[in-house]
Amino acid sequence: MKQLIIIFFFAEIILPQTRVEDINTFTLENGMKIIVLEDHSIPNANMYLFWKVGSRNEYPGITGLSHFFEHMMFNGSKKYGPKMFDRTMEANGGANNAYTSENVTVYTDWFPTSAIDVIFDLEADRIANLQFDDKMIESERGVVLSERSTGLENRPLWQLWEQVQGAAFFAHPYQIPVIGYESDIKNWTKEDLQTYFATYYSPNNCVVVIVGDVTINEVKSLTEKYFEPIAVGPPPRKIHTVEPEQNGERRVDVKRNVPSPYVMLAHHVPQTNSEDYYALSLLESILSSGKTSRLYSSLIDERQLAIEVSTDYSYAFDPYIFTIYGICSKGITPAHLEAAIIAELDNVIKEGVTGEELQKVKNQKLMEFYHTMETINGKANTIGNYELFFGDYKKLFSAPQDFAKVTAEDIQRVAAKYFIKKNRTVGILMAEEVEQ
Amino acid sequence: MKRINQFTRNSMLNNYNIVMLNLFQHLFIANIHYARFRNKFGMTFFDRIERRAFKTIMLVLLWSTLSAAQFQLPKYENYILENGLTLYLMEQHEVPLIYISAIFPAGAVWDENKSGLAAFTADALLFGTKNYTKKQIEETFDFLGASISSHARKETAEITISFKKSDLDKVLPIFVDVITNPTFPQVEFDKRKKRWLIELEQAKESPRRVIGSYFDKFIFGGNVYGNPVSGSNSSIEDLNREDLPGFFGMHYRISKLGVAVVGDFSTGEMKNKIESMFPRTPSLEQLNLIIDVNKDINEFEKSNVLLIDKDDSRETTFLIGSYGVAWNNKDITQIQVINTIFGGRFTSWLNDELRVNSGLTYGARSRFTNYKSAGTFYISSFTANKTTIEAIDLALEVLDRLHTEGVDEATLTSAKNYIKGQFPPRYETSGELADLLTTMYFYGLDDSYINDFEKHVDEMTVEKANEIIARYFPKENLQFVLVGKADEIRDKVKKYGEVTEKAIEEDGF
Repeated sequence: MKQLIIIFFFAEIILPQTRVEDINTFTLENGMKIIVLEDHSIPNANMYLFWKVGSRNEYPGITGLSHFFEHMMFNGSKKYGPKMFDRTMEANGGANNAYTSENVTVYTDWFPTSAIDVIFDLEADRIANLQFDDKMIESERGVVLSERSTGLENRPLWQLWEQVQGAAFFAHPYQIPVIGYESDIKNWTKEDLQTYFATYYSPNNCVVVIVGDVTINEVKSLTEKYFEPIAVGPPPRKIHTVEPEQNGERRVDVKRNVPSPYVMLAHHVPQTNSEDYYALSLLESILSSGKTSRLYSSLIDERQLAIEVSTDYSYAFDPYIFTIYGICSKGITPAHLEAAIIAELDNVIKEGVTGEELQKVKNQKLMEFYHTMETINGKANTIGNYELFFGDYKKLFSAPQDFAKVTAEDIQRVAAKYFIKKNRTVGILMAEEVEQ
Repeated sequence: MKRINQFTRNSMLNNYNIVMLNLFQHLFIANIHYARFRNKFGMTFFDRIERRAFKTIMLVLLWSTLSAAQFQLPKYENYILENGLTLYLMEQHEVPLIYISAIFPAGAVWDENKSGLAAFTADALLFGTKNYTKKQIEETFDFLGASISSHARKETAEITISFKKSDLDKVLPIFVDVITNPTFPQVEFDKRKKRWLIELEQAKESPRRVIGSYFDKFIFGGNVYGNPVSGSNSSIEDLNREDLPGFFGMHYRISKLGVAVVGDFSTGEMKNKIESMFPRTPSLEQLNLIIDVNKDINEFEKSNVLLIDKDDSRETTFLIGSYGVAWNNKDITQIQVINTIFGGRFTSWLNDELRVNSGLTYGARSRFTNYKSAGTFYISSFTANKTTIEAIDLALEVLDRLHTEGVDEATLTSAKNYIKGQFPPRYETSGELADLLTTMYFYGLDDSYINDFEKHVDEMTVEKANEIIARYFPKENLQFVLVGKADEIRDKVKKYGEVTEKAIEEDGF
């Protein structure tokens, strides 16, 4: 086995087509950072704008506002009034979307390169001159209430996630669900939106990534023309709340009419740019990536205790949670499934992981990297995420080596450090009549 | 692995009819998927007040996109091997990866009286083969970071793999064995069946995941296109392990197989390799399989409503539609242009009215689904229980406006630019190209489907657009499928047509 591993290790370090030196960066006078990668494989390009604001920046009364604000960014600015952002973009062959998490708000534009000037004009206008039309605020409020409702309607897991997250954090704003509480969605005001815009949408709070059929010089002159004149605002207030160390298990129960109970376990872990990231990320793959992963093979395949198991270990600026969930098989109680998941974690703590297992997930990470680099969207999104969450996009290119350095002992150490009872929040979602 | 806590501006609702074997595939919405799906969006609506302003902008800006390079299908080789297998080879060297996609005419339309059999058989190809156990298959693919998946859709079964080019010789023999020598072990069949039954129950927890199956059944009735891909609790309960090799023997014929290999390889070597690994001779017995794809497809004589009662619903999920068109329809691209305008993109008329103007929903759209010999069209959305009628009325009003007002030049130009601008990213990766080639194989499309796409879009005039609307967009005798709290909407929906009511807990669709 040892020999095989060595062969693989060297075979893996194939340089991808895109190299770190292909990426260009510069910072505008107003502090907006621009990252550009030329890729001429298709006559299209994209622009990803990463704003360092999310539900992490909220507090009771304005929960969900970051996400609502994201919607409002499409509802009219000085030059392009209500509806004109989408109409102009689509009429020029472009499409867009946006997403909000606890940490960031990201706007994405995909367009034929020939439309690049229009895209810059549209983005610059809304960043510099967003307007808030009362009628648009009210209809968008309805849209977001529908988004919240349809999520809860169709996804029991959402409901459980909200509760577990809320219980795992009692001090840090990560306790706030990104979508917000219904009562806040119904009550925030135009003034709340204006304040939010002034606070967080200053160009120095943004990283722009552009990938595709463009040239560096073209992008440089367009950013200077459109983005550089945008005025700088005061830096937003830092999030200084630190979640106190958890020193005892927390439990939440949620009742919902589902045929099989859901079990969710959340453990506090450090933020993405911590030294334990790579070991935890590999451990996540060992637990849940593929049919030979520990949770799948043991709980679903061999013992048939669950019909689905998965994990979530998202990027985060501040210490966050590593989440595992499962859905019970027929006749299996949530207590049974919970105990089985915990036994798998204990097994990693006691026995560690095998060399072959470790090599497997390192190979998987490399394939993930290649898949990411296959599309201009994969490139832009990943470059931006590395820049924000790891502090430098260059870390993307050293990731294969950073993963390669992780040892079986590292994995065992992080499991023992974080996957312990007093650091755990357990959530159970089940129908009332199933209760024993 | 999955994002629970991320919210996106638009969710995709247009996948009702693609039922993956893994019913949980769509449980989470990660934004990177949106990037792909957005391409299927459509067009723009502008109300009267803003029309003039919009036109001015278009004049200034639109000419540039029209000159964008036309997307062409990359070069590929196509062979029919001695055994009847149709092989496509397309070299793509951007990343050191290879994708292989195989397609058989072995989808749910062949289920006969064993609903779900096609889907179960496709899933079970990975349970073990003559030369490899399930464990060996899984360990090999997982260890290499490679992937293998197998699933059936309405008409086809598709098996796809992706891997690093250096691993070709490790994965190719397994892939070939999976599609030629599966053994369907009893123990794995039993385990999967148990899980399948719970997945069917779980799926009904989410109206969005099952409404497509109700719709197809309601539209096609006893026709094979009404067959629900995943089957029903009672039909899966009745399946036996022996049904699988029977179905496999009948429908997984090398002479009907299409294989596309796309990625970082050299064509000559790959051809020899594939040729040497599959059985040389065609299957002995050439069965002539016939299903009556036209059975029971008659124009609707009146509107009907299927109301699915889900007692704990806080919102109503609905589809409104009728028959659509088959893949071989000569106007298929131009129909997509109109659908872009009507309900296929963010600024589409439907989304503009139901979402942007009224805030009734997070999303409203429309879609044509094309099969070999039939198709469907539907409007889809969802809204709070109390606004159900308001939302449906508004959707019908927008459809009516499409017919009475038609589209104008500016709208059409915008739609053309959008659909062309979003076309190249649909075929950006080797995986997407492999899927495209097998789709073209199964549906008998030639290169002009891609290469003349822009031409067909450009050729469209306002006159032609309005002809397309009149000819292909249903107007009368619409069929309604609603999933929601029946007590709150039962009486009010009677105005749409004759109502049939079912509890969501009832078996099947």
